[in-house]
Amino acid sequence: MFTESVGYELWGEVAGLSAMEASQKWILSAMQRHGPELVRMLWRILGSEQDVCDAYQSTFLQLAHYEGRQKPKHVKAYLFRTASNTAISMLRHRAAEKRTLSKATNKAEATGPWMNEIDCKFLAETLRHYVAQLPEHLRNVITLRDLAELSYAEVGRILGISPATARVYRCKAVQLLAVWMNK
Amino acid sequence: MITNIKIPFRDRSQKNSHNKCRQIRSWLTKALSKSFNVDAEWVQRHVMNCPRCQRRLAGIGKVELALSMAKSQSHQLDLLMRANTQAIGVLKHSLRKMPKAEKLRTAAPEPKLSERCCKYNRPVTNVAACIAILFLMKVGIFSSANAFQSHGQKALRQYYVSHVGEELTNDIFTT
Repeated sequence: MFTESVGYELWGEVAGLSAMEASQKWILSAMQRHGPELVRMLWRILGSEQDVCDAYQSTFLQLAHYEGRQKPKHVKAYLFRTASNTAISMLRHRAAEKRTLSKATNKAEATGPWMNEIDCKFLAETLRHYVAQLPEHLRNVITLRDLAELSYAEVGRILGISPATARVYRCKAVQLLAVWMNK
Repeated sequence: MITNIKIPFRDRSQKNSHNKCRQIRSWLTKALSKSFNVDAEWVQRHVMNCPRCQRRLAGIGKVELALSMAKSQSHQLDLLMRANTQAIGVLKHSLRKMPKAEKLRTAAPEPKLSERCCKYNRPVTNVAACIAILFLMKVGIFSSANAFQSHGQKALRQYYVSHVGEELTNDIFTT
């Protein structure tokens, strides 16, 4: 009797797990639907293909393990925010690594990569460096609006703010970045 | 029951007021952007003599330039494929084996519909222009043919009036 009940329980668990697995198909659908946009945004934030792959993988891993493997209410919002946060933390990590390396080699940062010349890579790198330093609310708007190229309405929906607020935040972010980049 | 009937009216009036609000907002934005635009003459005149504003504008320009640089940097075409493969690799075994996963492993980035249609812009414009020209020509030809016909009829009538008389001419032209 006892073994029978245990067997039923196990069978129930297995059935539940397989149902959950089947229901996790939405992860692949989300990957198909939002993957290209996510990769584009990550590439613009990170500028390194290996980092893009890592951040992308980490984003979908987090999605698969979201609150007991359940589907978030707004998958797109979850994906974009997670991806952007992951990318920014990678950028910060990279910047910290650079700093320690430059300290070790006794090179001043001012004479290193931050030379005052108009160079495509240099400008993009400087921007990335400063975007990572922005306050969270401004950073989210600038990454979603300018790097992911989403509309203000979509940015507002993802961040839970109005499109007008998103516009204001974007303006503030650009002003702050301008001050930092002009230093 | 009565309240049930009233609610849609209230909704409609609310919608109307929202639409009005939106309209007014768009008018205000347009009006403000006209007078407070960076390209506005009075702004340009001020910027010419104000080093602080010049510095600020230069900074904003630099940020915009850096943003466009970041956007224009290209990556390898198979990046999406590699990213998908890496991400699928950490998902559950059952998900990894699905045909959709296989499809994602070989997915290539596709341009947006607007970008795809961009190359058809010129031919479509040309065709539209041709159609418009044909239409105008057709309208012009028919209208001028009608005018020519009516003028001819008038001249003929005049000839008959002068040679046969008004009454007989009326008889001829009415039949």
